[in-house]
Amino acid sequence: MTLRIRIAVSASLCAIGLAAIVYLSTNVIRDIRLLDTAQSDNVQWTLSQTEVEFLKFDLSLFAAQLTETPDMQGLRRDFDIFYSRITTLEQSTIYAPLRALPTFANSLAQARAFLDSAVVPIDASDAVLRDALPALQDQAEQLRPAVRRLTNSALEFFARESDARRNDIAATLLHLAIGIAALLLTLLLLVAYLGFLNAQNIRRRAQVIEASERMNLVTGTSLDGVIISDATGKILEYNAAAEQMFGIAAAEALGRDLGKVVVPEHHRAAHEAGMERMRLHGERRVVGKGRVRLDAQRANGEAFPIELAIQSAETRDGEIFVAFLRDISYRVRAEEQLTEARDKALAGEKAKTEFLATMSHEIRTPLNGLLGNLSLLRDTDLDSRQAHFIGNMESSGKLLTGHISDVLDITKYDAGKLEMKPTAMNLGSLMEDIIRNQSGAASANGTDLSWRWDGPRTDWIYADEERLQHILMNLVGNAVKFTPRGAVDVALRHADGQLTIIVHDTGIGIPPEKHERIFEDFVTGDSSYNRATGGTGLGLGITRRFVTALGGTIDLQSAEGVGSTFTVRVPVRAVDAPVRKTDGPAVRAEGPKMRILLVEDNGINREVAGEMLRAEGHDVVEAHDGAEAVRIAATERFDLILMDISMPVMDGRTATRTIRSGSGASSDTPIIALTANAMPEEQEAFLQAGMSDVLTKPLSREALRNVLNRQDRADVASTGVVSQAHLSSLRETLGPDGADAILRRFAAEVDQTLGQFTAEPAPALDDVARAAHRVAGSAATIGAMGLRAGLIAVEEAAKNRDDAAVAQAIAQLPPIWEATRRQLDLTPSPVAADPADD
Amino acid sequence: MLQPLVKAAALLAFLSCSALAQSSAAPTGDVILTVSNTPAGEVPLDLALLEEMGSETIETSTIWTEGVQSFEGVPLHVLVERLGIDGEALKATAINDYAVDIPAEDAVAGGPIIAYRLNGELMSVRDKGPLWLVYPYDKAPEFQTEVIYARSIWQLDRLEVAE
Repeated sequence: MTLRIRIAVSASLCAIGLAAIVYLSTNVIRDIRLLDTAQSDNVQWTLSQTEVEFLKFDLSLFAAQLTETPDMQGLRRDFDIFYSRITTLEQSTIYAPLRALPTFANSLAQARAFLDSAVVPIDASDAVLRDALPALQDQAEQLRPAVRRLTNSALEFFARESDARRNDIAATLLHLAIGIAALLLTLLLLVAYLGFLNAQNIRRRAQVIEASERMNLVTGTSLDGVIISDATGKILEYNAAAEQMFGIAAAEALGRDLGKVVVPEHHRAAHEAGMERMRLHGERRVVGKGRVRLDAQRANGEAFPIELAIQSAETRDGEIFVAFLRDISYRVRAEEQLTEARDKALAGEKAKTEFLATMSHEIRTPLNGLLGNLSLLRDTDLDSRQAHFIGNMESSGKLLTGHISDVLDITKYDAGKLEMKPTAMNLGSLMEDIIRNQSGAASANGTDLSWRWDGPRTDWIYADEERLQHILMNLVGNAVKFTPRGAVDVALRHADGQLTIIVHDTGIGIPPEKHERIFEDFVTGDSSYNRATGGTGLGLGITRRFVTALGGTIDLQSAEGVGSTFTVRVPVRAVDAPVRKTDGPAVRAEGPKMRILLVEDNGINREVAGEMLRAEGHDVVEAHDGAEAVRIAATERFDLILMDISMPVMDGRTATRTIRSGSGASSDTPIIALTANAMPEEQEAFLQAGMSDVLTKPLSREALRNVLNRQDRADVASTGVVSQAHLSSLRETLGPDGADAILRRFAAEVDQTLGQFTAEPAPALDDVARAAHRVAGSAATIGAMGLRAGLIAVEEAAKNRDDAAVAQAIAQLPPIWEATRRQLDLTPSPVAADPADD
Repeated sequence: MLQPLVKAAALLAFLSCSALAQSSAAPTGDVILTVSNTPAGEVPLDLALLEEMGSETIETSTIWTEGVQSFEGVPLHVLVERLGIDGEALKATAINDYAVDIPAEDAVAGGPIIAYRLNGELMSVRDKGPLWLVYPYDKAPEFQTEVIYARSIWQLDRLEVAE
C-alpha cells in the first residue's frame, strides 16, 4: 500500500466518521430543540380552562337573573375572558391542527356565533343586558355541549399527537444508537489504523536510528578522515580519523570554519576565494571532481599532503559538503624516495656509461698505437716466425678492439644513446663484402658459404649501414664458426617495405632451452666449444639490440645436430641508386696522391697515422695541436685535413671552426675528425663544427683507406659533377652572356639555400625539403648533376624526418658545390644571395 | 453597544425613580395593575404611570397569535427597580385568578415586558388585555419553553412580591 492510498483511506475513514458525527449531532440538536422549545402551552389546560371560563360565564348569567342588582361588570368580565379564550383558540398557531378537525371547527364556529350574537347585549347598557339575560342563558345552555366537544376532541387529538411524538423520539433514539454504534466502529477502525501507523512509525524510526548508528560507526571507524560542512564552511561532522589526522578533537572542530581548521595559512586565501566563487557563481573546482591532491595543516601547524574527494548533497537545511580526506604523507615520502632512488640509479647509470666511454677511449688510444706499430712492423723485413708472431699479436689486438666496441655498443644502447644513421646503401655490396670476409674462415672449417636474393634483387636501400653490417657480420660469423664441414646460406628478401635476412646453417645447433638465453649478454652456446671458438657472449646480445633499434625482430629456429636458422626482419625502404654512385662494392682503387695535414697530439698515434698515409703515397704535414693546425692551414693549401678532437692548447672542433671561418688557403678543405669518442651526439657536433667525416680510433688502414676513397670519390666525382653536354647546349641556346647570367643567378640561389641550411637555429625540415627540391630542379636545368643528387639526398632525408641524415647530407653539399662552381667557371662570390632573387 | 444602552437605561430609571419618589404620584386613571408587598406597600398603577416608567417594544411572534406582533410596555426589570422591589419572585395573577410565579432573575434587561399595547393599540380583556407579560420569544430558544409560555400571563392585573 502506497502512502498516497493510505492517506486516502484514513481521510475517507475520518470523513465518514465526521459525517456520522455531524448527522447525529444535527438529529440530536433537532430533538433537543423540539423538547427545548415547546410549541404548545399547557394546551389541555387551556382547553379545559375554556370550558371553566364558559361555565363561570354561564354561572354569572344564572346569578345575574337571581338578584335585583346583578354584578353586570363581573358578568361582562367573565364574557370577555371567555371571549378571549375562544379568540385564542381561533387564532393561536398551536391550535391550527385542532382547527382542521371538523368537530373542533364546528364547535368553535358555534362558539363564535354565540359570541357574535351575545356581544351585542353585553356591550349594550345594563338595562338592555338585564332584559337579554334569559335569552343569553338559553343560548349559553345550547352552546354548552359544543364547548364540551371542544375539550373532548382536543383530548383525543393530543393523545394521538403525543403518541406520534413519542414514536418520533423513539426513532431518533434508535437512529442515535445506530449512529453511535457506527461511529464507535469507525473510531475503532481508526484506532486500529492509527495503531498500525504508529507501529510502522516506530519500526521506521528504529530503522532510521539503526542506519544512522551504522553510518556513525562507518564514519567513526573509517581510516579516511570524513568532514561534513555546510555551504558556509561550518563543520557539521568530524570523525575520529580526522581527529587523528589534524590533531584537533571533534568537540573543538565542530561548528568552526573548515578553512581555519584544516587549510594551511598560505592556502587559506585561495580556499576562501574558492568558497566565495562557489557561493556566487556555483563554480566548482574541487567538489565532485574525484580525487584531488592538496596540502592540509595539522593543529601544530605542520603542513602535510592529503588526497581528498568532496561531494555535495542537498539536505533540508541547505547544501552540505562531504569531504573524504586521506593523509598521503607516507605515500608522498615513499614516492619522493622512489624518485630519488631512480634519480640516483640514473645518475649511476650515467656515470657507468661515462666511465665505459672514457675507459674505451683510454684503452683504444694505446691499442691504436700498438696495432699501428704492428702494422708498420709488418712492413719491415721480417722472417716467417716474426711475421707469424706479429700476425698473432694483430689478431689478439683486433679481438680486443672488437670486444671494446661490443661493450661500448651495449653501453650506448642501454643508455639509449644508440642512434641510427640511415643512408642510401648498397645491400648487395655489403653482403659481398661480408661473404668475402668470412669465406676464409668458412673454407678453413670445410664449410660452403653462399648468399642469394630470395625474390627480386634490391641492392639500394635506406638503412644504417654500420648497424646492418654488424648484424650480418655477427650472424654469418657465428654460423660459420659453429658449422664445421657443412653449409651456411644467407637469403635476402625485400618486400612490402620489410627486409628479411635468413641466415641458415647446418651446424651443431642450439638446444631448445637456450633459444631465448643466447640473446642475453655473456651467454654462449657451449662453454667447452666456446673455448675453442672464442667470444665474449656479447655478439647476439648486441645483434638483438641493433635489430630492435632498427625497429625489427630476430627469431631463431634450431635443432641440435641439424642446424640453426636466424631470421631478421627490419623495416627498410628501397631507394633508387644514387646518381654519383657506381655499381659494385667500395672500390679500393688507389686514389690520386693528396696533400694531407695530420693534426694529432699523441706522438705514437701521429707517427702511426702519418706512416699509414705516407705508405699510401700521400704527402703528409704533421701538426701537434689545433692552434698549430690553424696556423699551417692558413698559409698552405691541403686536399685533406685529419683532425684529432681531444688536444691540448686548442681542440679539434675549435680548430675546425677557426679554419672554416677564416679565409686561409685551406678554409674549404675537407676535414676528417679523428676520435675515440664514438658517441653519436659528439659526432654530430663534429659535423656541425664543419668537419666532413669521422674516423674512429684506433685508426686502421682499411678505415683510413675508405675515408680517403670517399674523399677521392667526391673529388673524382667533382670532375664529373656537371654534365658538360648539358652546359654547352645551354650556352648554345642562350648565348654566352645569357648562360652566364643564368649561372650567376643559379649560384646566388645555391648560396642562399646553403646559407639557409646551415643557419642557426636549424630550419624546419619541411622548409629544408622544399628548398632542396626547388634548387635540385634548377641544378638539373643547368646540368649540375652532382649537386642535384646531393640536394635530393637532403630532400629525402628531410622527408624522412631524420635530423642526423639531413645534417650529414647538408654537410656533404659544400665540397660538391665548390667543385661544381669550379667547373661552371664561377668564382666564389662573397655575397651569399642576391636580394632580388627568390 | 449594549453596555452603553443598559447604562443609559439604568441612569434614566434612576432619574425617573427619583422623580416618582419626589412626586409620590397617585393614579388618576383606572387602576390596571396593583403591586402589593413592595417596600412602599401596595402600589396601584394606572396606564399613565406605567407609561411614565419607560417603555420598550418587542417585535415577536407568539404561539397564541398569528404572525409577528409588536408589543409595547414597561420592562419588568424597570418596574422592579422603580418600585424598589427586592424579592425572590413575583406572583402574577390574572383577572380570572390564573396565577404564576415569575422568578426575580427574569426581571433583567432584554427580558419580559408588561405590555399594554399590541400593534399600537391598547388591549381589551377580549384581546388578553389590559396587560400581558410578554417575553421576546423569537430572540432566543430559551424563551420558547413551556415554563416561559406558562409565565406569559395575560389579562394580568396583580403582582405580589413574594418573600
